[in-house]
Amino acid sequence: MARGMTMRIPAIRPAAFWSLLALAAIAIGVLALPGRSYSGQDREQLLASASAQHPAGTDALGRDRMVRVSAAFLLSMGGAVMASAAATLAAAGVGTLSAFSPAALGSLAMLACDVFLALPWLFLLMMVRSTLPLTTSPAHSAAITFLILAVVGWPACARAVYRGALELRKSEWMLQARAAGLRDKQIMRHVLPNLTSLLIPQFLICIPAFIIAEANLGALGLGIGEPLPSWGSMLLELDNSPMLMHTAWVYLPIALLILILLLFEGVATKQ
Amino acid sequence: MIMRLPRLPIRFVAAAVTAVVGITCAGQTASRLPGELAWTIGFDPKTFDPAKVDDQESELVRYLTAGVLLRFNRSTQKVEPQLAEDWSISSSGRTVTFKLRADLEFSDGTRLTAKDAAWSIRRVLLPATGAPVAEEFLSAAGVTVETPDERTVLVHLPRRVIGIGKVFDEIAIEPADRPSEGRLTAGPFVVADYRRSQYVRLRRNPHYSGPDSKEFGLPYATGIRLDILDNHEQEIRLFEHGEYDVIDSLPPDYFSLLKQKAPNTVRDLGPSLNTEQMWFNQAPGAPLPAWEKAWFQNQAFRVAVSRAIHRADLARIAYEGHATPAYSFISPANVAWFDRSLSVPQEDVAAAKAGLAKAGFRLIGGVLTDANGHPVRFSILTNTGNAARFKMATLIQEDLKGIGIQVTVVALDFPALIERMMHTQDYEACLLGLENVDPDPNAMMNVWLSSSPNHQWDPSEKTPATSWEAEIDRAMNMQASSLTDAERKQAVDRVQQIVADQQPFIYLVYPNALIAISPRLKGVQPAVLAPGLVWNVENLRLEGTR
Repeated sequence: MARGMTMRIPAIRPAAFWSLLALAAIAIGVLALPGRSYSGQDREQLLASASAQHPAGTDALGRDRMVRVSAAFLLSMGGAVMASAAATLAAAGVGTLSAFSPAALGSLAMLACDVFLALPWLFLLMMVRSTLPLTTSPAHSAAITFLILAVVGWPACARAVYRGALELRKSEWMLQARAAGLRDKQIMRHVLPNLTSLLIPQFLICIPAFIIAEANLGALGLGIGEPLPSWGSMLLELDNSPMLMHTAWVYLPIALLILILLLFEGVATKQ
Repeated sequence: MIMRLPRLPIRFVAAAVTAVVGITCAGQTASRLPGELAWTIGFDPKTFDPAKVDDQESELVRYLTAGVLLRFNRSTQKVEPQLAEDWSISSSGRTVTFKLRADLEFSDGTRLTAKDAAWSIRRVLLPATGAPVAEEFLSAAGVTVETPDERTVLVHLPRRVIGIGKVFDEIAIEPADRPSEGRLTAGPFVVADYRRSQYVRLRRNPHYSGPDSKEFGLPYATGIRLDILDNHEQEIRLFEHGEYDVIDSLPPDYFSLLKQKAPNTVRDLGPSLNTEQMWFNQAPGAPLPAWEKAWFQNQAFRVAVSRAIHRADLARIAYEGHATPAYSFISPANVAWFDRSLSVPQEDVAAAKAGLAKAGFRLIGGVLTDANGHPVRFSILTNTGNAARFKMATLIQEDLKGIGIQVTVVALDFPALIERMMHTQDYEACLLGLENVDPDPNAMMNVWLSSSPNHQWDPSEKTPATSWEAEIDRAMNMQASSLTDAERKQAVDRVQQIVADQQPFIYLVYPNALIAISPRLKGVQPAVLAPGLVWNVENLRLEGTR
């Protein structure tokens, strides 16, 4: 590696990171318990209080709230992590190629990103989601929801990568490498490792953004289909004051969602 | 028969998308005038012209303001004279004669004569007016109106119309050549003020000449304020604060909430005339795979699905007990037409499985497959914003899992749903409600005739697609032309039995009529027919006022 080409990995706050992992482990444990199903309806236990059988009570259809929250957490986090990885990779490709292309081509690519960013994405998301076949299974609807979020999420990230890659292109070590006669292919091998300090925060920022976006889509009825649980569908319960008066456990999804977002915020620290 | 959204011949339930979490705090309402009644309407009335009424809100304003020749009593379900002193139908059923009350006046004090009544009737019959009520005359172009003297109106019909008296409940008598959009009426109230998205204010008509109006000084109230508000949270809060006097059609969860807070204000009137049902898309032209169409057109499949649904759970869970399991399009609340001897496919999962096996379906690894090996799965479409309906769909999803059917529940906003249902026909099954505004089954012709665009499972058939649909056509036409009530009842009973046997609509529940009435409001006689709580508006008054 040429001098000056150092990888700068952002610091990860261990407490937040381990807390997230612990939550995920608990959620997996809850789902792994025998006889637990996120869709099973105990029709004699509607809106039941917390008990040994249902530690966080049941919802209006008699489904175990703890199991559903656990499933929603894992689904949302897994989907958001994958969508964020896909968006970050796409952004890294577009941003880097644009920065190392002729200036006019790079500007054009960034203009395309800006146009993409200016589109009313919520409405487009709703439109795309509503044109899906009605028989789309809940699992497919979840996959499609996160795929759409990844497609929508990469341009903002690409802009940041482009700026970072441009700076890299003008850096002293890069000039030195060119002067030393390194070919473009050889130089490019060192570009991505040097953008890691930019890409990891982008990846970490996208995860909570996608979790919130999925919750929003779910609250609009355009997210993950029933009976698969999602933050959005569970948050809809808060739109019903009779439900709020009935049980405090209805606040569990929103409380956990806030906690998870705060933990993700804590995972990435400023360099 | 109408679905709950104004206004198609079938009206679909108005559904607001409750998308974002949050409770709106109570907003500003206009101050209440002394002796004024107040309640809410969901949307702005589309028109104040009583001849052009095409939506629920406009219909309510017309009901409260219009002077009509005959009034359909929502409690006794009989037609009674209002501006008319007497009326009769000729033995042929083709001439209706009205004798007006003496000394009738409009709200500005000018005289109301037979000329005004004839002008108003002719106006709704004119194609240029585009009055929806004209359709109820069946052949509006052939109707003629005569006024032999100042108090007599003769309406000649080209053919007999069942329930013609009720049609005149929808025709406001306006001053001849001076239509005023409700500002000059012969009804109990007149439109005084309208602020878009805020309120409609009505004031008392001092010249009102309805039955008993002079003797008792009706209407009692000095006016009515209709706040335009589509938010149950806010409506209930303002009702608790005494801002509103009545709430009609409470959702079950809000009913329970209000019952906890103010138990003496809420009432469950029992089953309404409305139904909630699901149906399969049987249209031959629907963009669905051939094997799916074959399932949906298979009577055994529909009956098995019907048998697998736990209707009692739908009523208990989705409606918190404020609904009754349904098996027919006529509610038990419709005493005259309900058929107690109807034979229906009762809930029986074992029988459902046996029926499917007999029809060539097999359970392979817990998944139902048809004779050609296609796994049986379909989506149930419903509208967003109706929690009870979405719960029902989710409960049915679980019920049908029990017989190996995989169901996807899809909630769409109303425009998208209507587009699929009425235009592209790109759906498999649908779950919606039908609102019956008229207990007479003749009003359901637009659903049951196979040629009707509102014949939902297969709209606008050129000829009946099946023998049983042909039989329904014959029976419905028979009830429309029979001269005796017994013959009509027999024909309607037959239609009920065919529908129960064939299950083109799988009826789920009759939602109960849930209402709230302020203890301050006197004179209320709740009825299940719209406008249920205020149908006798002339007699309503606030405690402490005259």
